[in-house]
Amino acid sequence: MTLSNLLKQNKHFWRLAEMRLLFLALLVAVVAVTSVGFFTDRADRAMSSQATQLLGGDMVLTSSRPIDKSYLVEAQQRGMGTAEVVSFPSMVSSGDKFQLAQIKAVSKDYPLHGKIETSFDSAGSITVTTVGSLNKDEVLADGRLFVALGIKTGEQAQLGRSTIKLAKIIRKMPDQGTNAFQFAPNMIIPLAQLPATGLLGEGSRASYSYLFAGDASQVKSFNAWLKPKLERQERIRTLDDGLPAVQQALTRGQRFLKMASLLAVILAGAGIALSSYSLTRHEISAVAVLKTMGASRRQILTRYLGALVTVAMLAAIVGVIIGYFIQSYLATYLQDFVGQALPKAGLLPVFIGAATSLIMALGFSAPHLLQLIKTSPIQILQRSNTVAKTSFMFSFFSLAIAVFLLMWIQTSDLKLSAYLLIAVSIALGVFWLIALLMLKLIRKLSQRWPLPKANQRMALMVVVFGVGLFSLLLLTTLRDDLINRWQASLPSDAPNHFLINIQPNEVEPLTQLLANKNVETPIYPMVRGRLVEVNKKPISPDDSVFAENPRAQRLLIREFNLSANATLPEGNIIRAGEWFGDGDENGFSMEEGIAENLGVGMGDSLTFDIAGQRLTETITSIRTVQWDSMKPNFFVLAAPSAFDELPRTFITSVHLSDDNTTIIPEIVKQFPSVTDIDISAILTQVRELINKAAFAVQAIFLFTLVAGVVVLFSALQSQKALRRKEIAIYKSLGASRSLLRRNLLLEFAMIGGLAGFLAAVLALVAANAAAYTLFDLSPELNLTLIIIGTFLGASLVSLAGYINVRGLLSIAPVSLFR
Amino acid sequence: MKNNSIVIESNNLSKSLAASNEGGDKSNSSQTLQILHLINLKINQGESVAITGSSGSGKTTLLGLLAGLDVPTSGEVTLLDKKLSTLDEDQRAALRLGKVGFVFQSFHLMDNLTALENVMLPLELDSSLSLNNSAIRDRAKEALSQVGLEPRINHLPTQLSGGEQQRVALARAFVSNPTILFADEPTGNLDSNTGNEIVDLLFEMQQQNNTTLILVTHDDELAKKCETHYRIENGRIDNSEQEASLIENKKEVYVS
Repeated sequence: MTLSNLLKQNKHFWRLAEMRLLFLALLVAVVAVTSVGFFTDRADRAMSSQATQLLGGDMVLTSSRPIDKSYLVEAQQRGMGTAEVVSFPSMVSSGDKFQLAQIKAVSKDYPLHGKIETSFDSAGSITVTTVGSLNKDEVLADGRLFVALGIKTGEQAQLGRSTIKLAKIIRKMPDQGTNAFQFAPNMIIPLAQLPATGLLGEGSRASYSYLFAGDASQVKSFNAWLKPKLERQERIRTLDDGLPAVQQALTRGQRFLKMASLLAVILAGAGIALSSYSLTRHEISAVAVLKTMGASRRQILTRYLGALVTVAMLAAIVGVIIGYFIQSYLATYLQDFVGQALPKAGLLPVFIGAATSLIMALGFSAPHLLQLIKTSPIQILQRSNTVAKTSFMFSFFSLAIAVFLLMWIQTSDLKLSAYLLIAVSIALGVFWLIALLMLKLIRKLSQRWPLPKANQRMALMVVVFGVGLFSLLLLTTLRDDLINRWQASLPSDAPNHFLINIQPNEVEPLTQLLANKNVETPIYPMVRGRLVEVNKKPISPDDSVFAENPRAQRLLIREFNLSANATLPEGNIIRAGEWFGDGDENGFSMEEGIAENLGVGMGDSLTFDIAGQRLTETITSIRTVQWDSMKPNFFVLAAPSAFDELPRTFITSVHLSDDNTTIIPEIVKQFPSVTDIDISAILTQVRELINKAAFAVQAIFLFTLVAGVVVLFSALQSQKALRRKEIAIYKSLGASRSLLRRNLLLEFAMIGGLAGFLAAVLALVAANAAAYTLFDLSPELNLTLIIIGTFLGASLVSLAGYINVRGLLSIAPVSLFR
Repeated sequence: MKNNSIVIESNNLSKSLAASNEGGDKSNSSQTLQILHLINLKINQGESVAITGSSGSGKTTLLGLLAGLDVPTSGEVTLLDKKLSTLDEDQRAALRLGKVGFVFQSFHLMDNLTALENVMLPLELDSSLSLNNSAIRDRAKEALSQVGLEPRINHLPTQLSGGEQQRVALARAFVSNPTILFADEPTGNLDSNTGNEIVDLLFEMQQQNNTTLILVTHDDELAKKCETHYRIENGRIDNSEQEASLIENKKEVYVS
């Protein structure tokens, strides 16, 4: 049967308000699911393709020592692409000018993903350069190196024993953004030229990498082959490891979007359940009449199932189209930030949208549909409108299965869906119970005051509105948290320059120079050390306790940046113990997460190997750190004077406004060894990203709002017939319009207020739980939310309720006799 | 035109209900309320029969049982030569399909269907007719023109007066040329003038189609227009009324 046939056959159902509400609820659900689905799908693919370009391959093996060549051979035999990189810092000179550069000696296939984009001058047209195309002694370098050495493209410089020609300016290259603390300008030289420089001898400090590229299964099986062979200093980086900060913000935003769409779906589900309930009530007499005419149960089932499937398919088609347009708007808006055109929208969200629509229409309506089929034809003679009872278990399972399937489709995580289902069931149960209790209380109070009589129906309405308001309040709270947090992480005075490599004797004059320019900022000493002992026992990444903890393993392989300071750095919060007092010379202050990862706590002693010297101290405090603050942050802080005797440099970050441009040249002139890292461009990019992501979040939030309104009206519509009768009876007994109006408003306000109150309390609990577990935000007690929730619920429900039943107030009591 | 083939027959038909106790005291719920008691009647093809009685006498229950909308506690109804007790709900429905029509007090038109669509319904349900949509539409239009509503076929019930709605209901009931028509207080919701028009129309169509009419009413004037008149009191057929009816109409009826 074609859709147009179905539409033709079912067009009369469109005349029912209940069916239109059902359609609207389904439409909202489909639009929410597909627009978010389309968008996150595209953004995900863009991010992973960008991540492979950042890595330069699908998988990277890094070591501080030369790596076994047999790994390359094995990968090549498996049909994978390979490349080699040796990276180390070295001085480059031209005449009397010197500049530290990060040298990257790369094999000719580098990079495996992404390109090296170059130009002949800093603003020139961009071309792609391959390593193989470089002539003997030709190299590529960042524009900063040219500026520092005062030379142009094609001119020569000295690197170790080699005289090199700086052929082109690197505009963009893989692996550029992964390490924010790599400040030296990059220089790419062909690996074949490395020996001639004589720079890498025995024991030289360098980072050796092999890059591998292949399809997902090749990467996976090669990874499995390689892992057991790895030496202590070797580690594998894949796409899943440490996404850069910008992408983390996007991931967080995506999580929010998915959750918002899931809540919109659940809300729409409530709307569907309600409108199909009122549809059932409305259609009982129609079914009874059809049965008197000789319609079989099968015919009744086909008739209503057909109508449901039609409306679901229609909602799916229209919803997918609207969803597609919304996401393409979002995508154009956001793609600057992803830095590239997004991949084309996939087809998956179309199926997800259609499946969502069908599951919702059938799952949420099935219990009601069954009631309809059971309607006895004799009802039409008895003038009764009673609904046949369906078993509670059937209704429950039908709804539970539908909700479970929806969550599974959305999250594609079986366990999470099961947890969510249980959480939703418990929340509903709690809502129902508290609503009943409070209404009981109101019933008691109404014996004394003229309050509307509380009943089961009111409890149902409280639950329905409560769930709706709960979703809205939860999302509002999370959205605000998320956006505030994003924006707070980058205040307008966030540091935009890092000054590193400050020598001990330069600290004093540099502080003075900055102070003269009205810039005040703490300067931190920095030493690099490897954790070698805990409580005087040697510790190693190979220890069995860390077998399942790759993060701890990584922490133990690499060197920590340690610092020492008299005052607790801004944004850090002491969670246990105390910060160093005046004159303290001993103790470590550890970051909470790293202490947890390493399994150490207050009172444990740690020994670091710092350039051959050992430093042992006890942990005297545990802190949390605001990692995304763009300020120097440290895992381990020691007492103020702890490193005075150790070789150390200093680091600071400053915010320089646009009119303060002379300060950097002055610093560079006065302190030649100090390196300035200008991150203002990155900051601007991140800020733009945040603003755009915040907009996307707001847009998706709108769906949930629309879903909420649909629920509100479905719920009111479902009660309308009953209310019509009630009002007629009241009128026949002599109630005036004004009395009825007052009673209705009072009842709606009571239902809404109660629902709002419960919703706010629950939303507060849930928002804190979600903020903490899903979005890594800290909990917060927001009491105004409860007041706002109660007030909002009362006014929204009274307003919508009044609009919905206003027409009934003029009903003539004579309608009772019809 | 009448022949003497029996279309409906009831044998010792009884209906009782478990009396529900308002106080919700479950101990009394085993008490039963006798609604109909040992009803025996036979109705011939083409006959018009009135069933009257006061409120709660059981007349409507009897109508429901005779039409197979409900099942008796004991006894048997034979409808169009089929014993209803041997049929399940769907089989009883199939028996009514195309052969039994209804007219109700509150019209019971589908309020989301136009007059025409309402009248088309019985034909659409009956797949054995194998009519295509335009044939169904034509027949429904014809039925509506018979009741004088041709200009209003595309109106929704809410746009029609009570009398017009009942005309649509009549057209819907007769469109499939039913053998039997059950009418439950067909004028109950109408003023007397409109009610009279509807009654005239009803009898005219019944006679034209040689339809058996079973009419439940509390209106004795209306009952008098029928050939046979059963009066139900306390769940039993009031024999005196039957005798009177017998004499008046000089008709043979089966008396229990």
